[in-house]
Amino acid sequence: MKVIFLFIFSPKTVYFCRFCRGFCSRGRGRGRAQGTRWQQGQLKEECQDESEPRGTCMRMCPDRELREREAQKRLHRFEVLPGTEKDRLPRADPARTVKEYSRPAAGKDCVRAHDLRPPSVLLETVCYLIDHVAVSPSLQPWTEVYDFVFDRLRSVRQDMIIQRTSGPECVAVLEKTVRFLIYASYRLRDEPLRLYDPRINDTHLQESLSWLLDCYSHGQHPHQEEMQALGLLYNLGSNRALQHALELPERVREAPAIRLALAVNRAHLERNPVRLLRLARQLDFLQSCALHRHLGACCRDLLLLYSHAYSSRNCRFPLQRLAHILALEESQAAWLCQAHGVTVDREWVVFSKVSYTEAPTKDLRGLHFCELVDSKREAHCCQDHPWMCLRLAIFVDPCIIFPISLKLLIVGGGVF
Amino acid sequence: MAHITINQYLQQVLEAVETRDGAFCGELLSFKHPHVANPRLQLPNPEEKCQQVLEPPYDEMVAAHLRCTYAVSNHDFVEAYRCQTVVVQYPLSRALPIMFAVTLDLRIFANSAEQQLQKKGKGKVGDMLEKAAEQLMSCFRVCASDNRAGIDDSKKWGMLFLINQLFKIYFKINKLHLCKPLIRAIDSSNLKDEYSMAQRVTYKYYVGRKAMFDSDFKLAEEFLSFAFQHCHRSCQRNKRMILIYLLPVKMLLGHMPTHQLLRKYDLMQFAEVTRAVSEGNLLLLNDALAKHETFFIRCGIFLILEKLKVITYRNLFKKVYLLLKTHQLPLDAFLVSLKMMQVEEVDIDEVQCILANLIYMGHIKGYISHQHQKLVVSKQNPFPPLSTVS
Repeated sequence: MKVIFLFIFSPKTVYFCRFCRGFCSRGRGRGRAQGTRWQQGQLKEECQDESEPRGTCMRMCPDRELREREAQKRLHRFEVLPGTEKDRLPRADPARTVKEYSRPAAGKDCVRAHDLRPPSVLLETVCYLIDHVAVSPSLQPWTEVYDFVFDRLRSVRQDMIIQRTSGPECVAVLEKTVRFLIYASYRLRDEPLRLYDPRINDTHLQESLSWLLDCYSHGQHPHQEEMQALGLLYNLGSNRALQHALELPERVREAPAIRLALAVNRAHLERNPVRLLRLARQLDFLQSCALHRHLGACCRDLLLLYSHAYSSRNCRFPLQRLAHILALEESQAAWLCQAHGVTVDREWVVFSKVSYTEAPTKDLRGLHFCELVDSKREAHCCQDHPWMCLRLAIFVDPCIIFPISLKLLIVGGGVF
Repeated sequence: MAHITINQYLQQVLEAVETRDGAFCGELLSFKHPHVANPRLQLPNPEEKCQQVLEPPYDEMVAAHLRCTYAVSNHDFVEAYRCQTVVVQYPLSRALPIMFAVTLDLRIFANSAEQQLQKKGKGKVGDMLEKAAEQLMSCFRVCASDNRAGIDDSKKWGMLFLINQLFKIYFKINKLHLCKPLIRAIDSSNLKDEYSMAQRVTYKYYVGRKAMFDSDFKLAEEFLSFAFQHCHRSCQRNKRMILIYLLPVKMLLGHMPTHQLLRKYDLMQFAEVTRAVSEGNLLLLNDALAKHETFFIRCGIFLILEKLKVITYRNLFKKVYLLLKTHQLPLDAFLVSLKMMQVEEVDIDEVQCILANLIYMGHIKGYISHQHQKLVVSKQNPFPPLSTVS
């Protein structure tokens, strides 16, 4: 016992620091003691760099990994040099190969600086992934595009974590990641589980979102209002998200996007689905994508409330009116009603307290909120930048400020 | 105490240890005791002196405590916290009076240290408090698993105190889900009604707040009422704190506070809210919530007060019913009343939805006829009293 105490509490605890290649007296890892005091008369060691390794890899994929994956035939088909796909050993296209995510494991080599990408390269990588892979109309099927971009974005975040990145590049990377994952959550909603798992998407989205919101607590950020609003909408009904939004500085809270998101949340809190759906019409495309996973529950709630309020023998409710309130086409509204045990008789809906069923009797994946989501996509494209119509113009501030470095283009031997 | 020498202090500690005087020993290690202000004890390196008088491991523990007083005198709370973590880890700290003193100081230093780091722009919010919570949890585990001693000497008597400390941390770092296992531990304990009233009041206060957060208002009312009634009348500040959370819960269940109560506890922010809700005056309610928004948000009750809107709608619509004196009420009348309250952008569809919600919740007994655009209410007691509606 005594020996252990002496070891832990003696101020002279030292260890070999693998980052500065010297002996340090600091505890390792984030959040540990920031430096123990030496005995009187000696200096306090302040080893700044030892816990913040700086990456030196200036490409999207470190050389070592590129050569390794090329030799082992583990290149993704989006990374292969055009013309070499059918070769026995396809060649990697350095301008399109991106470092993949690898699970950290005990016993693995400690991270080397030339395997890590510095923040500027990380941002360029993300811009490439979004602007040239995610929105590319020629790469199909989109589930495969999603898998590729998802994995590579995860690797970017991994590099950021190891380097303890913060600052504008980190924020920009996270913003683009969040936008991509929100869009994916909408686009792939009807895909089978083997191709897309909404829960995994959600986990990563929430992680990135809370990291991003953490970054926002220091300094000024031009896109903060947009992202806070997206977070609020995606987490509709979460007391925590709502409380966080209410505690934002007034200047931020007064932004139109956040006010609208708060109003939507309030309507949800008051259990007023009519108001909620009406406000939802005012959301733009990406905000609607963020909200859409809650729309089914809102419609269901409305049917529940109306089943109780209109539950009288001769009561009939016009289907057209209901469809309008639910922002669905009449056929879809009728289908939703029937799935919840609500009788539809030609153009009339007959509500009844007893026949409403909570659990839908049919698979609701065919439900399409055209008015509330799909129709906004074109509007979003064309109003901002006409030439973006081909793209999904949700990634509004692409790499105009951070152009993909010329180095990558030259090395790649061509423009993609 | 403020003028004794280091040797005298160490002698007192030695005596306390030898005579097994836990209470006095606890005082000598607590920051509430005046000895911490004594400059003769505030030494950066008291190890040698401690080793001369005390046996190990007491010498290192007391040395850490004295280093802590030194750090506090320099306003270096980060260092103070670090020293205090050393103190907490020693086995002697398991003696209950000492444990109470050192764990309390640990939490307070973690708080101050965080604030200091925040001011310098370093450190993540909640980091130090989480670490303090981990230490407290290990103390808690020692207490909870103490099956050897008899009930009088058992460490289980320390459980509720530690739980209260952990609650305070979890509420501060907003990780309320971590409270659940602690609540379960107390619920299953046979000592739960035997602890001191002070500890039980604190416990019920936090559990009541958690129930509020989980929207379990009946339970919240039960716990918070207990805390309020049993809180000693001299602790005005604590009573006020309990009331801040009890009031919204009671209002949601239909019980409005009197003016005297609000004035007595300096909670006039609730006065206008109360009046607005009982009159069904949505306009006044929105104004009152906006006026004291900062206060309500800071206490975390803003969202609950927003739920009072439903009660306000009910009161407003009841007025409409009383005015029209008929049990077949045109929907238009309700729309007009809402427009008078300057509710923005409300249309007849929304009126129907609000009414549907009130019917579903049992606040109105009746049904809506869409064909006749009327709300048909029951001839008997169409607006049941709020306290009868769950």
